[in-house]
Amino acid sequence: MRSRLPVLRATRRYVAFMVEAEGEFEAKDLIHEIRSSQTSLFGDAGAARNRLKLISFQGGFGLLRCHGDHVQETRAALAAVYSIDGFRASCHVKGVSGTIKSATEKYLPKLRKISSENDGRRIELEEISGCIVHTHGLEIDLCPDDRDWTKGSDTRYLGLTSFDLCGGHDDADGTSDGL
Amino acid sequence: MSFYECLKSFPEGSDSPSRLALVAKRLGWQGIIICNEDPRRIFRIDAAEKVKDISISVGAEVTAPNARALRSRVFSLRARYPFITVRGETEELIRAACEDANVDLLLLGQAWRPLGIAQARAAEQNQIAIGFDLSPLIRLRGSSRSRWMEVAKRNLELARKFDLSMAITSRARSHLDMRSPRALVALAEVVGFEHSEAEEALKLPARLVALNRRNWIGPGVELL
Repeated sequence: MRSRLPVLRATRRYVAFMVEAEGEFEAKDLIHEIRSSQTSLFGDAGAARNRLKLISFQGGFGLLRCHGDHVQETRAALAAVYSIDGFRASCHVKGVSGTIKSATEKYLPKLRKISSENDGRRIELEEISGCIVHTHGLEIDLCPDDRDWTKGSDTRYLGLTSFDLCGGHDDADGTSDGL
Repeated sequence: MSFYECLKSFPEGSDSPSRLALVAKRLGWQGIIICNEDPRRIFRIDAAEKVKDISISVGAEVTAPNARALRSRVFSLRARYPFITVRGETEELIRAACEDANVDLLLLGQAWRPLGIAQARAAEQNQIAIGFDLSPLIRLRGSSRSRWMEVAKRNLELARKFDLSMAITSRARSHLDMRSPRALVALAEVVGFEHSEAEEALKLPARLVALNRRNWIGPGVELL
């Protein structure tokens, strides 16, 4: 395509976002899901007005290019993502910026790894029991022994925090009914 | 005034209240209201109080097989919880909820028929807010979602006509269902809300909780 005059170029915005998911997926699955969500919400005409492009995606953080006048539509398309490659997921916008550099500097400060690290530890409380799948700071994802516990919410794992365990903190190893 | 979100926690959802509170704080909510059908069985609600800088309230979501059961359940829960929502599944339940002044919020997310004029008038008289549950907008795709959007748009027009208070919620059952206030505003705009209208709707649950928490020691006398 021939380059257009600078005055005719559309303004662009760069949306930095974070993905939380129950499993691992690739960047092409993510952009496929975002585009599918956008087309489903706004139709082909809406998607043509706001061409989305995934600039980068690494460690759970991504950068998406959109039209400057359609940032709110981009937010809605990201919010309507329900699952990626069969895993339950949600996309949260961290911030919007005018250049890739400023978006990266402001909103994508650190890398985070989404991975299923089953460290083999178990939680056994009165009400629930299961194996730990992910831990991230205070947050703990638990694979429950009884699948019915997550039946209503369409998720695989139970979301807990170290506050829920009797140890009361992240390093709650060795407590009687904690980690 | 701050943004509050209505959520469900374990055992009706899949996350503990403290996990929901942590994620809500990260997403920019100032408070959460846990609206389980059985609020006495919420998993470790005391642990959620350890999460700083976010307000956690316990409300109740009422479902009942018929209007009489709904009224008695709402009456029994009213004194104990500052926030009572009713999930309007059938026309009979929606009508009963609109006529009961003890109800704070009528959630219309799963209703596939728009609100009637008589019901809207009753809701106006009893000052019952209409809740728009946006989870079908996230979960559904295709024709079922467009049908849901049509019903939501009709409800929105009726709520504007009768000047009803409106609330927006994602009615999250896990941290993966939660969306930030700005994302909910963007989704609400897709349904047909004005930007300011959507922001006001996000503030309504906080206002209702604050109003219901007031301590009246007699008619017209509030204990400050």
